[in-house]
Amino acid sequence: MGRTLNQIAAVTMMNLRSIPGRLWISLSTVVAVALVTSVLLAFLAMANGFQSTVQGTGAADVAVMLRKGSGSELNSTISREQALLLEDAPGIARGADGKALVSPELYVVVDGIKKSSRTKANLPLRGLSARADQVRRGVKVSAGRMFRSGTNELVVGRAVSRQFEGFELGRTIKLASQKWTVVGEFEAGGSVFESEIWADVALLQGLYQRGSTVQTVRARLRDPTSLAELKKFSESDPRLKLDVQAENAYYAEQGKGMSDIILYLGWPLAIAMSLGALAGALNTMYASVDARMREIATLRAIGFGGAPAFVGTMAESLLLSVIGGVVGAIATFLLFDGISAATLGSNFTQVVFSLKLTPALVLQGVILSLVIGFAGGVFPAWRAARAPLLAAFKER
Amino acid sequence: MTFLDLVRKNLFRKKLRTILTVVAIVIAFAIFGVLATFQNALNAGVDTAGADRLMVTNKINFTLQMPVAYVQRTRSVEGVKLVSHADWFGGYFRDPRIFFAAIAVDPPTYLDIYPEYQLPPKHRQAFLSNRTALVAGKAVADQFGWKVGDRIPLKSNIFQQMDGSDSWDFTLAGIIKGESARIDTNFVLFHYDYFKGTRSFGGDTIGWMIIQTRSAKDNARVMKEVDSLFANSPFETETQTEQAFAKAFIEQAGDLGFIITAVVGSAFATILLIAGNTMMLTVRERTNEIAVMKTLGFASERIFALVIGESLLLAVIGGALGVFIAWLSSFALQNATGGTFGPMTFTPGIAIWSVVLMGLLGLLTGWLPAVRAMRINVVAALGGK
Repeated sequence: MGRTLNQIAAVTMMNLRSIPGRLWISLSTVVAVALVTSVLLAFLAMANGFQSTVQGTGAADVAVMLRKGSGSELNSTISREQALLLEDAPGIARGADGKALVSPELYVVVDGIKKSSRTKANLPLRGLSARADQVRRGVKVSAGRMFRSGTNELVVGRAVSRQFEGFELGRTIKLASQKWTVVGEFEAGGSVFESEIWADVALLQGLYQRGSTVQTVRARLRDPTSLAELKKFSESDPRLKLDVQAENAYYAEQGKGMSDIILYLGWPLAIAMSLGALAGALNTMYASVDARMREIATLRAIGFGGAPAFVGTMAESLLLSVIGGVVGAIATFLLFDGISAATLGSNFTQVVFSLKLTPALVLQGVILSLVIGFAGGVFPAWRAARAPLLAAFKER
Repeated sequence: MTFLDLVRKNLFRKKLRTILTVVAIVIAFAIFGVLATFQNALNAGVDTAGADRLMVTNKINFTLQMPVAYVQRTRSVEGVKLVSHADWFGGYFRDPRIFFAAIAVDPPTYLDIYPEYQLPPKHRQAFLSNRTALVAGKAVADQFGWKVGDRIPLKSNIFQQMDGSDSWDFTLAGIIKGESARIDTNFVLFHYDYFKGTRSFGGDTIGWMIIQTRSAKDNARVMKEVDSLFANSPFETETQTEQAFAKAFIEQAGDLGFIITAVVGSAFATILLIAGNTMMLTVRERTNEIAVMKTLGFASERIFALVIGESLLLAVIGGALGVFIAWLSSFALQNATGGTFGPMTFTPGIAIWSVVLMGLLGLLTGWLPAVRAMRINVVAALGGK
């Protein structure tokens, strides 16, 4: 047993030391595996970045109320009467002044110009009242200040100013046929809110001929369990009958579609490319075995077993692939991690997100590279293990 | 033995290696074909846009409305041949996750302005004469298995009827086919008048207008005149060519072109390495034999051509198989997506590009090994043993 282990170690080292002799073909396997890994990881980072932006939005103790069946804020309408009824609804927390913490909001679409493509894209312009910041916590004005009610001032999420033209602090910008001054920029923990523009709700109601209707009402709950109470209240009043959801659940649902599409594209592509890389890995390893045939057979002739030849070949294949996997992961990290992208979210408006590579994703990439290395090594290793003794004397 | 026989025999001397290399090439070409099909689907709206068609939308954003009275005023602009209008219904059939466009239109002008939508005259008549009639694009009808005469309830995630219901009942009057496979038919059309008369809000507004100009040469002037007609009103407009509108719309999804190019680029970089190495190994193994051929009087050019021919044959075999797989996949993709992303079509353009890529791949992977083979020194190769 000990002798076999020694033989395995010796042959494996011989094997690995001989790689420089087949430098180019070995490199081609490394590069092929690296490319496959980085394609996979780029897609995974994209899906993950989008998902964590959308699903990281919203709190469990904030309720979002929409018109039944509307599915998204953009399509919802809520009348003033309904909004007033909600102020007396149970389960809603109250401020220091005893008033319910509810925020009637407007959600309209305006055109922004994407910096990357210089084309128009839908940006959400949210109308908020003064109470909104008591309902929605975790938002911080990071530069400038909040807009003043009744003025043409707006604040923008930091993702908006990063991806779209003309939203720098102090700039005047034309949106919805009006001139606005950007007076502040806000952070919201990397959530979807950072892709929004906020302004005074009453002003927008006038501009968009909405009278006193709004689109959604958000409410701060006394605690997450009060949601059931609020739901029951809405269901039992025929004037309401709204869709009542926890804010985090609402966004979790919204994020699903797009990240699913990215994953459905990414995995099949990566698997197809893996098969191509596998063909390359097999070629490399067969070439390696062929090149060492005399050496392997000679070892067999002087009493080495088949196992060392098998393990040595496998070790070479796995090493080349895993180097490829790691190189691919590093390249993806350097090229793509943290880069900002924007796509259409389910509200038909832009959602800005960053590609995010996590250790768990890198592990998936490395596992894929090991699978390629294993499959690419096992057949050639089998051939090596069964090398006929006569091959030792064969002319090449 | 002819030249081609020699190339073919050489190629399959190491069967396993050749087959593995071919597999890698097949996969790369299949990826290229499938992604190009996908890109075709996304760009269908841009590529099939009418050169003489303009889109008029609300200047603030295309999701906002404008008064239906704009249609008459637009008709009076010099150079305008036809004007039609449309409104977005936000419709779905049973499952809100299955996307298609449900549009309330002025049927006669809409069908005239889009001649690429083919509807048998009998069905057209049935559509025009029945206020609650609906026509469905083939992609939608196929997706849900609808037949002419079916009663079809559509729900809206935007509008409600006067009685608070969000469902409208229609009768399917006909199925629209595209004049070519590239025409997107993932839509249904119904009467704006019926919709306007039954919805609880929205009043006399429409979503957008479509203009057909007398000639594409009039486009620029018509665009300017229409927009100035409605300037300084509460509903300012923005008029652009149908193509520009479709293009901006696709851009909203992100830089998909870059993603597709990057993936195809990676796939081809991979096979360039694999096939290149295969050819290199091949030439190295045959050093002696090539030296013998040279001694027998084969010209260097002939040897060069022999190696390049082999790499080209490799690329063409793998490429053709890959293209064939991509062509088959385009039908599967169309079925699987039901037209959500647009019509998945494998166009001749993809095939032509594939042939160009096969040629490039063959030349690039064969060049260095062929030069090497040409330069083999007979004395060193045969005498070194």
